[in-house]
Amino acid sequence: MIRLNNVVASYKTERGVVNAVDGVSLEIPDGCIVGIAGESGCGKSTLMKVIYGDIGFPLALASGSVDYGFSDDSGKPVTSRNIQKEWFKRISYVPQSSMSSLNPVIRIRKQFLDFQDQTGNKAQILEQVKSYVKKLGLPEESIDSYPHQLSGGMRQRIMIAMATFFQPEIILADEPTTALDVVVQKSILLLLMDLQEQMGNTIILVSHDMGVHYQVTDKMLIMYAAKAVEYGDSEEIFQRPLHPYTRLLINSLPTIGDDRAREGIPGRPPSLWNKLQGCRFADRCPLATDRCRNEEPEFVEYRPGHFAACHYADSEANLSEVS
Amino acid sequence: MSIFQYFAKRIGLYLVVLFIGLTITFFLPRLMPTNPIDGYISQIESRAGQSLRPEAIAALRSNLEELYGLKGDIFTQYVNYLNRVILHFDFGPSFTNYPEPVSDMIFRALPWTLGLLLVSTIVSWIIGNLIGLVAGYFHNKRSATVLEVVGILLYPIPYYILALTVILVLAYFLPVFPLSPTFPAEGLTFGNAGTILFNSALPAITLVLAGFGWNILSMKSLAYTTKEEPYVTYARLKGTSNWKRMTRYVFRNAMLPQVTALALSLGTIFNGALLTEMLFSYPGVGLLMRTAASSGDYNLLYGSITMSIIAVATAGLIIDLIYPLFDPRIRNR
Ligand SMILES: Nc1ncnc2c1ncn2[C@@H]1O[C@H](COP(=O)(O)OP(=O)(O)O)[C@@H](O)[C@H]1O
Ligand SMILES: [Mg+2]
Repeated sequence: MIRLNNVVASYKTERGVVNAVDGVSLEIPDGCIVGIAGESGCGKSTLMKVIYGDIGFPLALASGSVDYGFSDDSGKPVTSRNIQKEWFKRISYVPQSSMSSLNPVIRIRKQFLDFQDQTGNKAQILEQVKSYVKKLGLPEESIDSYPHQLSGGMRQRIMIAMATFFQPEIILADEPTTALDVVVQKSILLLLMDLQEQMGNTIILVSHDMGVHYQVTDKMLIMYAAKAVEYGDSEEIFQRPLHPYTRLLINSLPTIGDDRAREGIPGRPPSLWNKLQGCRFADRCPLATDRCRNEEPEFVEYRPGHFAACHYADSEANLSEVS
Repeated sequence: MSIFQYFAKRIGLYLVVLFIGLTITFFLPRLMPTNPIDGYISQIESRAGQSLRPEAIAALRSNLEELYGLKGDIFTQYVNYLNRVILHFDFGPSFTNYPEPVSDMIFRALPWTLGLLLVSTIVSWIIGNLIGLVAGYFHNKRSATVLEVVGILLYPIPYYILALTVILVLAYFLPVFPLSPTFPAEGLTFGNAGTILFNSALPAITLVLAGFGWNILSMKSLAYTTKEEPYVTYARLKGTSNWKRMTRYVFRNAMLPQVTALALSLGTIFNGALLTEMLFSYPGVGLLMRTAASSGDYNLLYGSITMSIIAVATAGLIIDLIYPLFDPRIRNR
């Protein structure tokens, strides 16, 4: 189980310090696919960086901690402070763009063997790599190629092969398919789901596409302006969302047989530079009251395993009015 | 574009550059108001007093025109010139060392120049780029900034000031190397290689330092931007060691524009060599050119200029031809 305890992550900039993740607490059970959704700039990538342990200037973990629920070789529990030693062994990640994430001038084979403390027989590992990429539906020779010789879909398969080769407990994927065309997107997502089912690892998947979340994820986290606003089983969230923002996100999904263009949610999220008080969504919320504008809602478990931060999460008004 | 098309294009470009260079060296002297033969004849006349008969002068003129390729109309001259230079590498005899062929003198001087230039350029490129790489890769470390300062200080210094400073420091204040080098007359042999290296050290050091500034500064900024490329970030997040990221990821990519730049900068390197050879009385093509220019030895001058054009263009071609070794995107498409 991955446990985030009141994580506050901030960027140091010339204008000052800004909290891009502002007090997120979660528990992610082992072996599930968790989706993170929310508009651009709400802190999804920053939260992923924190979970991955890629914390360095200008990003800092201002407070809180991450526990991963496993121990390192010496028996010490792994936290965001020492997770770096486990990179690509027990936690790995799939980057957004496979083209720019591969070194253009060296062969894939060499990039496969670039992991830290690479010991053991190189030829032997290479054989394993070969049969592994074959299993993922790539020709064995593809690892002898340079990145520019492969198609976008093949390259993204290579990225997935790299991220899953050591069977890590946790795999992070920040918009892993946005750079691909729709057909390839689908096959890449299916591959990820397939591998997850075989290996039983935890996948945390960022996507702004609610359709992807609906098809792929077991659990979902909805973020808004650096805050977690809703978290729970995906099925629950899609059927009985608690937060008006989630509801609007779901409504922006096109449905089959409905050709009307879906408008996005009117308005824009508040700037994190402003002094924020009350519910951060209040300005755009159809249900907002004075209480919302002044009093910050807490992130509360309204139903078993289903959390939300909204004063009116379980009120009848919420359930009927927005949908 | 296949690799063959790439080669064909480069070689084609090389031939065009050579052709234009040869054409310019042919026409330039002919645009000058003075005729070398007139000058030569008046020299002889003034030496011989009035004793030369007009027929003898006419015969001399005809002989000289024959010798220096000035017979016939300009088109015939041009064709003859290309024929002589390209097919026979013949620039006629030297005025000052008559009748020694200019090409012999050039071929004697060329290995000196090439040896000095090749070694100092390669050393300067390698060390300068390595310093720049470390400075750019560790740009947020104070100690690495010191390396960049070396580049910032060296870059704007004019070459002659740099050379004089090196002479002052390494030959005068700390007399490590001889102030005026002496080179064995018989040229490079196995036995005197040490002497030659020792005597070439000073000019080589000035050339290496002169190339440093630019190599350090441009590699620093290349390494700095390459370090932010997604593939370097990805390698870091994969756990790839700092050393491998700096060499295999940053350097291997950032060096590509530096290789291209090297091919482009060869011309200026050659200019540096001219000055160096004069300053250090180094027996290369540069010194030959100076002698030729100051004594009005036209054949020698145009021979060495042509030779420099060929040398610089060929070196550029060689760099272009080995470039695909470093960049698989050109090698395998
Ligand atoms: N390197 C950075 N320096 C300063 N601010 C940053 C940096 N990266 C992201 N931010 C800010 O942090 C906030 C969250 O960004 P991010 O986590 O990338 O959002 P998302 O992935 O949800 O689009 C944004 O307001 C963004 O401007
Ligand atoms: Mg993002």
